[in-house]
Amino acid sequence: MNFAWRIYRRLAQAFPHEFKLAYGTDVTQLGKDVVEEITKRQGVAGLIRLIADIAIRVPVEYLSEMRRDMRYALRALIKSPGFALVGIISMALGIGLTTNVYSSKWALIFRDLPAAANAKKLVMPEKPVSYYYIEQYREQNSLFAGVAAFETGIPFNVTFQGDVGGKPERVFGQLVSADYFSVLGVQPQRGRVLSPEFEKPGDAPVVVISDRFWRNRLNSSPSAVGQILRLNGQIATIVGITPKDFHGALAVNPAELFVPITAQAGVAPELANDVLHQHNAREFLAMMCLAPGVTIDSAEAALDAITRRLDDQDPSLPPRTDKGRRVTLLPAGTRVPIPRELRPVLAGFFVALMGLVITLACMNLANMLMARDANRRKELAIRLAIGASRFRLVRQMMSEGILLSLLGGLAGFVLAYWLSVLNSRFMPPTAVPVETNFHLDWRAAIFAFGLALVCGVGFSLAPALQATKADLTPALKEGSMLQLPGYRRFGLRNLLMVAQVAASLMLLLMTGFLVMGISKTSSVQTKFDPGTMYLLSIDPVRDGYAPEKAQAFFENLSERLKTTGRVRSIALAAQAPFSIDNDEDDATPMTAEDSAESSRVQQSVIEETVGAGYFATLSEPMLAGREFEERDQRSQADGSKTLSLPVVLNATSERKLFGNENAIGKRVKDGMRSYEVVGVVPDLKNGVGISQSIVYLPLTPRDFARPSAGGITVLVRSGAGPDASSGIRNEIAVIDPKLNIFDVQTLSDYLERSRSSTRFSVQTYGGIGAFGLVLAAIGLAGVTAYSVAQRRKEIAIRTALGASRAQVLRLVLREGAALVSVGTVLGFLGAIAMAKILSALTNIFVEALRVGINDPRLLIGAPVLLAAVAMLACYVPARRTAQIDPLKALREE
Amino acid sequence: MTRVDPQKFIPLKAHWFHIMLSLAGEEQHGYGIMQEVLNRTTGKVRLWPATLYGSIKRLIEAELIEESDERPAPELDDARRRYYRLTPLGKRVLDAECERLQELVRTIRVKQAAVTE
Repeated sequence: MNFAWRIYRRLAQAFPHEFKLAYGTDVTQLGKDVVEEITKRQGVAGLIRLIADIAIRVPVEYLSEMRRDMRYALRALIKSPGFALVGIISMALGIGLTTNVYSSKWALIFRDLPAAANAKKLVMPEKPVSYYYIEQYREQNSLFAGVAAFETGIPFNVTFQGDVGGKPERVFGQLVSADYFSVLGVQPQRGRVLSPEFEKPGDAPVVVISDRFWRNRLNSSPSAVGQILRLNGQIATIVGITPKDFHGALAVNPAELFVPITAQAGVAPELANDVLHQHNAREFLAMMCLAPGVTIDSAEAALDAITRRLDDQDPSLPPRTDKGRRVTLLPAGTRVPIPRELRPVLAGFFVALMGLVITLACMNLANMLMARDANRRKELAIRLAIGASRFRLVRQMMSEGILLSLLGGLAGFVLAYWLSVLNSRFMPPTAVPVETNFHLDWRAAIFAFGLALVCGVGFSLAPALQATKADLTPALKEGSMLQLPGYRRFGLRNLLMVAQVAASLMLLLMTGFLVMGISKTSSVQTKFDPGTMYLLSIDPVRDGYAPEKAQAFFENLSERLKTTGRVRSIALAAQAPFSIDNDEDDATPMTAEDSAESSRVQQSVIEETVGAGYFATLSEPMLAGREFEERDQRSQADGSKTLSLPVVLNATSERKLFGNENAIGKRVKDGMRSYEVVGVVPDLKNGVGISQSIVYLPLTPRDFARPSAGGITVLVRSGAGPDASSGIRNEIAVIDPKLNIFDVQTLSDYLERSRSSTRFSVQTYGGIGAFGLVLAAIGLAGVTAYSVAQRRKEIAIRTALGASRAQVLRLVLREGAALVSVGTVLGFLGAIAMAKILSALTNIFVEALRVGINDPRLLIGAPVLLAAVAMLACYVPARRTAQIDPLKALREE
Repeated sequence: MTRVDPQKFIPLKAHWFHIMLSLAGEEQHGYGIMQEVLNRTTGKVRLWPATLYGSIKRLIEAELIEESDERPAPELDDARRRYYRLTPLGKRVLDAECERLQELVRTIRVKQAAVTE
């Protein structure tokens, strides 16, 4: 009983302060009065109930106080809607942007592949290998629990059952080995996935479809499994549906169809020529599931040794003596596999980015709360004096911050949602669809809510503690100046102000650099109206054509279109002109063969494949030599490997490979073969305005037989006038009505789409920079107004003693000006440093940044603009001081 | 002063009803309320201390009861304790609740009679 009584008394002490003040003694007294009687009547069970009762009541009382605090805070916010709005918007921006980064970038790089049970154990070599290598890898049972082969980004022209006359749809999928799903650890949601027991070479073709394909293209039909699809003209039976959200390995290029690599060649041109048994066909990516206890490092070392042995056995490869690793294993259980050493760097970068954004927003909130709480000092002092606990007051003041933050979090979540929707609308035109943005899920919601809560608590605590720290006596003295800690010194608030000004300027300048740079560099200068060039893609092989027939079709097409009269010229290419698909990662090493010894080093260049008359169609003059002709396009018809192919260099690649020498007639070679340089063209920038070193290869029969993911792009120049695309379509339909024509657009549309996603993100961040500036200005105005209010008496005395208005104004503005100038200088330096770092890290913005950073309008304009806005924010409240009537002010005091 | 509608509190929470009922006609302190409820319900309903004072706090906030400043006769007075009594609003709310319960009992009786016949 004594023990129970001790617990009871302890719990009675735990009630909230106010409750304890009013009823604490009574509760204790009553407990004491009844404890004996209860023991007598009900024994231990009664004592347990007695303690349970008070143990439940304590949190209930706290909750009820919290509810009251929230109501109080809500009323306070409703009373000052301006303050509430700025606070909410500020938090919404911070939380919205952070959630956006978290739900897109973070998810892309760090979150496990959805529905793949083995995600943590998956690794893959960086480079594709031949299927023979994968078979050898597969035998390493001690290293790998399984090794699958796949090819990603494979287009299929799909016709649906019962839709015989209809035009096929172009759907992207993967070619996968039978053990692919078991290696990934993916179970079907319906039917079955592929498995080595069922899939045998030469079987009737089957296909596994993704959940997305099933929902969007088969309307979630319950009888989908067992249905027949026509893939590239060949019949295939749907045997299963993958789980929701599974889009294959490397899900950044989402796959909707999974076709076994054992399928007959007709299903995909990638499988032609018995590719599985070609030892030098390095076309397959390997996906490995590590055996238990094997680390990625030991697997990499072992795999490297095996690969070296296999390389040495391959007669088609030149002997190599390099010492470095030939195999790099990447953790492959995420949507984008990234090298191990890059993971902490990226994680650090994103955490820092999110931290910066959220801190900025929180600082604004803290700053506003602090200025506001200071105005309530007297009220707080009175409440403290009449017995309110400090803890209680702090809690009440914090509830305002938390409420603001939570409301901001809600708005921020909406903002993040809106951003993700907008972002998915501005996808750049790539040959293989790319999905880098994900709709917000519950994880993002929890993230936003948690962030809001932490920020609300964290950043309202300091102001609340500071406000309740007041020394009671001076605060209560009527009309006396309040003691304000850190008011003139380099206090917390001043630090916040400087940080805010600096950060907004940094953001503004950075986006400014990019906006200016991009608008200057990204206007691709065509020598004709890009609205009169039509791009369209055809992939006849995937419509069931034999390779020879496909080539004949294109030759026929050129002739036919030229006879229509409207078409001025026509050219073929394996990719759209000014393509933005070319990543530096895809660069090919190339060497000049008979150049001076000094320049015989490997240069990485981008290879583009174009047909006859390509540059003439683009109205690009040759700097030297000739461009490709029809005979180059056909020259490989005999299939002889010895015949050398012609190439055309652009100016940058010519300079890289040959220095100042004339390149015409000289030879270059890549890993596969040797070429003769027949021409040089000026640099054509890509869609976002970057010049790359490009080597143009001629379209050969091989390209017609196995077109890339974008099919064959037809460039048609027509005369000015009404839309010619339907005429072109009709002309093609005459040749073959069943042919799938896709990606039909004018060149100007294509260029516009290339730029729109970059421009969208730059504009978004520019908008945020501008808004940050506005927030900073509001914060400054608040601080100035506050300090002015504090110095009313001083100012009144000065005015009474004869100080002029200008003198008073200067006095008040001095402080604001100091903050603004420190912030401006810091922000300016920060932006320059950031621009340098960014140019070093990524080559996307180098050009834009180089142009932007040298633009005096920006370098001088942005800081001046910021300073002007900030000073205006100080001036408006300061002006009010100058209008203080000294008599009135002094009398009040 | 605006007149608060007693119906807004109806039906009363069980604890509230018991506390208010024990205050009907006499002022009581917390211990007295507890004992009265215990006796009245022959030990079936016990208001545990923390719950009792939690309810009293809310009843005061709802202005259904108030602290009494009158003390009973000195020989009965317990100086340590605070006394509570119903407010006029509390009386009206209690009346309304009793009325509701009586109505309920009448309905049950009629129904029972119909069943037994």
